Amino acid sequence: MPQPLNPKDQSLFRQVVRNFELKQYKKGIKTADQVLKKNPNHGDTQAMKALILSHLGQSEEAFALGKEALRNDMKSHITWHVYGLLYRQEKNYEEAIKAYRFALRIEPESAPIQRDLALLQMQMRDFQGYITSRTAMLQAHPALRQNWTALAIAHHLSGDLEEAEKVLTTYEETLKGTPSVSNMEHSEATLYKNTIIAETGNLERALEHLEKYGYRCTDVLAVMEMKADYLLRLGRKSEAEQAYTALLERNPENSIYYDGLIKAKGVAEDDHKALKALYDEWVEKNPRGDSARRIPLDFLEGEDFKQAVDAYLQRMLKKGVPSLFANIKSLYSNPSKRDVVQALVEGYVAGNAAQANGSSESKDNEFLVSSYYFLAQHYNYELSRDLTKAMEYVDKAIELSPKSVEYQLTKARTWKHYGNTIKAAEEMEKARLLDEKDRYINTKAAKYQLRNNENDKALENMSKFTRNETVGGAMGDLHEMQCVWYLTEDGEAYLRQKKLALALKRFHGVFNIFDTWQEDQFDFHSFSLRKGMIRAYVDMVRWEDRLREHPFYTRMAVSAIKAYLLLHDQPDLAYGPIADGAEGLNDEERKKALKKAKREQQRLEKVEADKREARKAAAANAKSIDGEVKKEDSDPLGNTLVQTKEPLKDAMKFLTPLLNLDSQNIEAQTLGFEVYFRRNKHVLAVKCLAAAHAIDPSNPTLHLQLLQFRKALDTPSEPLDPKIAEVVNAEFEKLFPKSQTLEEFNDSFLTANKNSALHVQAALSGRQFLNKDSATQNEKDLLATLDSVDIMMSEAMAGLDLLNKWGSDKAAYAEKALKKWPESSLFKLD
Amino acid sequence: MSDPIPSAIADPEAPERTLPTNTEDRKAAAALLSLNQNAIGTEASPTGGPSGAEQEALGKAMSRLDIAGHQKNDPVTKKVVKITVADVSFLVDQLELHKTKATELLRSNDGDVVLAMKAFISPSF
Repeated sequence: MPQPLNPKDQSLFRQVVRNFELKQYKKGIKTADQVLKKNPNHGDTQAMKALILSHLGQSEEAFALGKEALRNDMKSHITWHVYGLLYRQEKNYEEAIKAYRFALRIEPESAPIQRDLALLQMQMRDFQGYITSRTAMLQAHPALRQNWTALAIAHHLSGDLEEAEKVLTTYEETLKGTPSVSNMEHSEATLYKNTIIAETGNLERALEHLEKYGYRCTDVLAVMEMKADYLLRLGRKSEAEQAYTALLERNPENSIYYDGLIKAKGVAEDDHKALKALYDEWVEKNPRGDSARRIPLDFLEGEDFKQAVDAYLQRMLKKGVPSLFANIKSLYSNPSKRDVVQALVEGYVAGNAAQANGSSESKDNEFLVSSYYFLAQHYNYELSRDLTKAMEYVDKAIELSPKSVEYQLTKARTWKHYGNTIKAAEEMEKARLLDEKDRYINTKAAKYQLRNNENDKALENMSKFTRNETVGGAMGDLHEMQCVWYLTEDGEAYLRQKKLALALKRFHGVFNIFDTWQEDQFDFHSFSLRKGMIRAYVDMVRWEDRLREHPFYTRMAVSAIKAYLLLHDQPDLAYGPIADGAEGLNDEERKKALKKAKREQQRLEKVEADKREARKAAAANAKSIDGEVKKEDSDPLGNTLVQTKEPLKDAMKFLTPLLNLDSQNIEAQTLGFEVYFRRNKHVLAVKCLAAAHAIDPSNPTLHLQLLQFRKALDTPSEPLDPKIAEVVNAEFEKLFPKSQTLEEFNDSFLTANKNSALHVQAALSGRQFLNKDSATQNEKDLLATLDSVDIMMSEAMAGLDLLNKWGSDKAAYAEKALKKWPESSLFKLD
Repeated sequence: MSDPIPSAIADPEAPERTLPTNTEDRKAAAALLSLNQNAIGTEASPTGGPSGAEQEALGKAMSRLDIAGHQKNDPVTKKVVKITVADVSFLVDQLELHKTKATELLRSNDGDVVLAMKAFISPSF
């Protein structure tokens, strides 16, 4: 019920509003309490108080009060608006939209409510709603150009290009005279309209529009690029050639311009002479440039290639460009080019380089050391690996230049490739000590320590470059600075050690960072319009829609799902890592181990709590300076996360975006199967299988899953719903025909892929799965995979994991592997 | 109650601006915001608001848009498909879809659950 206030309280209420606007929160609460003393059920005042409370970080109290305010005054737009704002802060956008809608129904003229609603609709990509809101806002204020542009964006993003263009044109027609050239908003709107026209596919018209208005636009480069692109796509070759030449004169390093120029000139892709001549022309014009020298190496072959790459390598080595190898290695996908490069640089160090006469001693030295460094990287690289030589060359380079960080770094990397994480971390730490002020080498050292599961040491290193007074210390700062790589590596290191609580903690940390990025766009829905930078805004909105396609997300999510699967299969891990081979223990021993793990967990919790107390005491003074109250993490060790009742359900949070956006990733699909299969979601499980099958029908993981699924279908624990059975059987028949028995299927897979270690492992796993008695034979066959010349260290590691899973003895396998890779630390059992 | 304080929560920017999580960003955003508000303030009312003629032109433009908009909004008759609640909730459970998505899926498959599931699981690439 609305309650009128007496004039004195009325003015007090206004005071509350003013206090809120001026961010005098404490004062605001005091004043609100004054009003509420006399009018305890005054909804609007309660709502304002709730809003202030939520800004003070007391969201629970705020919500309770906000609800009460609503109960007391359902007919006030203020209570509804505040209710929406509270939901908005909780990031519950759907509910917030509903609340705003109610508020708007009560007070249809309120611009702020309308605007809040529109922004949320955009955030939620409710385009139809957004169009409605934006139309209303335009009707209220047609004089503001941004309202017109916003409506155009709404139509554009909802897919109605025609309407979007019409809105922009309608506004332009009302303009009397052309706005000045310095009018940024006009310039951007013009170009925006041009991109819309181009998106309709009518390039003719887009070009015409661009030629008519483009010369007045501020973003000259964009106009030039768009024009060149249109001309080329329209087949107006000679003009396109001019346009791309003009672009190259601005920036002769952009390879896209070269591509455009070549197409415009109509040079055939296999006419290497003509192509080289074209690039040479640009080399002459820009003798200091790189692109025109480097790109021809991609297409040249044989003797031509040799000459060109020789000149390129010598030039760069003489200058001592450290990034040379990074620039060259993409050529190695062609083995003959790889061999040419190798022979050339080996020749240089043997003294065959065509040295310019009279070059000084130190110059020679630099050339030599650069060549050693290049070769060290060359022999480290996957496609040209020979670690003995790599070590040899890197040692030579270090000998000549012992203070160089890069050379020492390469040495560490060589150890990494040897599979020796311990040595690698040590050597990288040495590299770090060569330049303690260098952040790059600092992070490298930390990363190598994480790869060696030394989480504490790594954090210690990182802390040299973080703001350690942040809440949560160095780790807190790494979260705040959104250091995704570190958190992911840290989580993966914990996962390797089976410390699932901390692993999950880190993965959730990264997940939240992605959430923040999603959230960050909110400000731009209004900000970009005010600024008039709409093209960049539209790009950003589209980027946000595919945010979780990012490889960093995929990598983290894959690890997180693995952690949850592990937790589901071995619930004891919730209490911390239990000694390897816990399956082999009897009940009594298991209980003992569990107890020990629990004790350890409690001890760690206590240590962490003490640390927090100490920090709090120290930070008591510092906090007031910053002026902000930061919430202390109530679960720094991730113990709440790990003690979940439903690990598979929690895994869905990571899995869903992965399957929606990165569906071509076979690892995502196979993991999806693992989760759905355990949750008895047969339809979804078979969907993942079908998708994985479409990507790579002979994937080893998929093979094992097909066997498992078929067996589960053959002997269901409870009968399937007939509709589900129909769908699942029909789809699965395509992947694994019923006419084939499980054994036949497995055997034919083995014969078809007997040269690949991973495939053989999968087939052996299949045999083990179908027949437990075949274990001895399987172990023998697994051991034999190590005889293959091609087997990689990572594949051998997978074999070791397999033995673990079977509960077999690993000693013989590990010993044989160690003989094959004596430098590695991965096969040392302890 | 005729509300004398439509500006009560009138500054919607205030709650929004608290969004960026790190302090520096927040400060920068606040600074930019204040810049912009000033700019708009002066831009929107250069000499006491747009002139009458301009207003008129904009109003006309609006109405032109409206007409165009209405023409476009001819109701597209949707195909009538019978969909049962039980089928929808079955799909929601089995395919873990949102209710609206599940309904859509059923509708585009003539309300047949089995067809809908088959369509849903076949790989899209």
